[in-house]
Amino acid sequence: MSAKRKAAVQEAPVDLRHQREEFVRSFLHKSAELTEELIRDNQSMEEQLLQLREENDELRSQLASSDVTRELLAIIDRLEAEQKQLLQRSSELTLYEQRQADTERELNDLASLYVASFQLNSSLSVGRVVKHMGELMEQLVGAQSFVLYLVTVDGKRGIPVSAQGRLPAPLAPIVLEDGPLADASLTGIARIHDPAAPRAPGEPIAVLPLQFGSQVVAMFAVYELLPHKCAWAKVDRELFKLLSVHGATALIAANLYAKEAGPRAALHDVLIQLEAERHKQLLAAESDSGGEL
Amino acid sequence: MSSYACLVVEDSPMMRQLIVFALSRIKNMTVTEADDGIVGLKKLAQTNFDLIITDINMPIMDGLKLVRKIRSDERHKDVPVIVITTEGSREDRERAMALGASAYITKPIQAPQVIETVKELLKI
Repeated sequence: MSAKRKAAVQEAPVDLRHQREEFVRSFLHKSAELTEELIRDNQSMEEQLLQLREENDELRSQLASSDVTRELLAIIDRLEAEQKQLLQRSSELTLYEQRQADTERELNDLASLYVASFQLNSSLSVGRVVKHMGELMEQLVGAQSFVLYLVTVDGKRGIPVSAQGRLPAPLAPIVLEDGPLADASLTGIARIHDPAAPRAPGEPIAVLPLQFGSQVVAMFAVYELLPHKCAWAKVDRELFKLLSVHGATALIAANLYAKEAGPRAALHDVLIQLEAERHKQLLAAESDSGGEL
Repeated sequence: MSSYACLVVEDSPMMRQLIVFALSRIKNMTVTEADDGIVGLKKLAQTNFDLIITDINMPIMDGLKLVRKIRSDERHKDVPVIVITTEGSREDRERAMALGASAYITKPIQAPQVIETVKELLKI
């Protein structure tokens, strides 16, 4: 400070000095307040910044979690698609297994029919043919008690030739006048009842006529099935049809053969028979055409 | 691939044919047939079998006697034996199992049942 000025200050009145000091004090005070305010603002901003950072972190984590959710949803979609495919494959497999089981059953049925036909036609012994028919009833159909009746030439009686199991009545010839056996012998139609359905005492579950052409030559009457057989199988009806035709021819052939002196002797007049049949056919054709042939 | 030899002892030609038919559906299976227990024993004396299937009710030597003979013979005592019974003959079945039969099949014979039992015993 220059001496001149220093002197001026020293010379300034007391009030003015006081005012100046007041002003400086007030200025300093305001500065301090401003600084404090700035500090408070700064603190508040820092707090806000912190809060924003936290919010930011939270948002980031939410974003990350929604990524995970998206991934999880994608996995769920994929798994659902796989599950759909597996279910489809499983249903295809079930269908395939069902088809396989059906094929197995049909194969088994065909084998039963083949064996039945083979065995019925494999012998020309009356005894064996009757035995085979009984076995067919027992082993393939599952009949436990049954009787085989031969129908007499006049068709009025049935003569029992073979029987098995517990029968409702002692074995004896029967008169074919009335009842299921008489009906079957007359019509040639098999009578097959539901094994579980109630029926009259002594009434057979099934009556199976064996016929050649239009004539019933014998009949099976089935009274009981094996305990575990509660219903007829599809193949049983086929076996009955087979037995009805092949059983009759096998029985007739075996009986005729019994009168012959061996297989060659049984065929010695085949040519004569063929000629006779041809002649018969010719006569029939002539008669049909009114003698124009 | 392994091959298997099976002896079928059954007096009924029809049943025998059905069993043979069922066995023919198993790969590499050869079948020898016998119509009673005595013939079965003769076949057993000539050949080694991987499996024996026998009916119980047979006229000359029944299946129970055959099972007993098989189990008392050192050569065949471990060969699996399947007996064929009817559903009603529980006693026969129990006796056969007590004598050493490995399994049983009930009549009427069903090919899938035969195949399944044979495969189970031969572990194929």
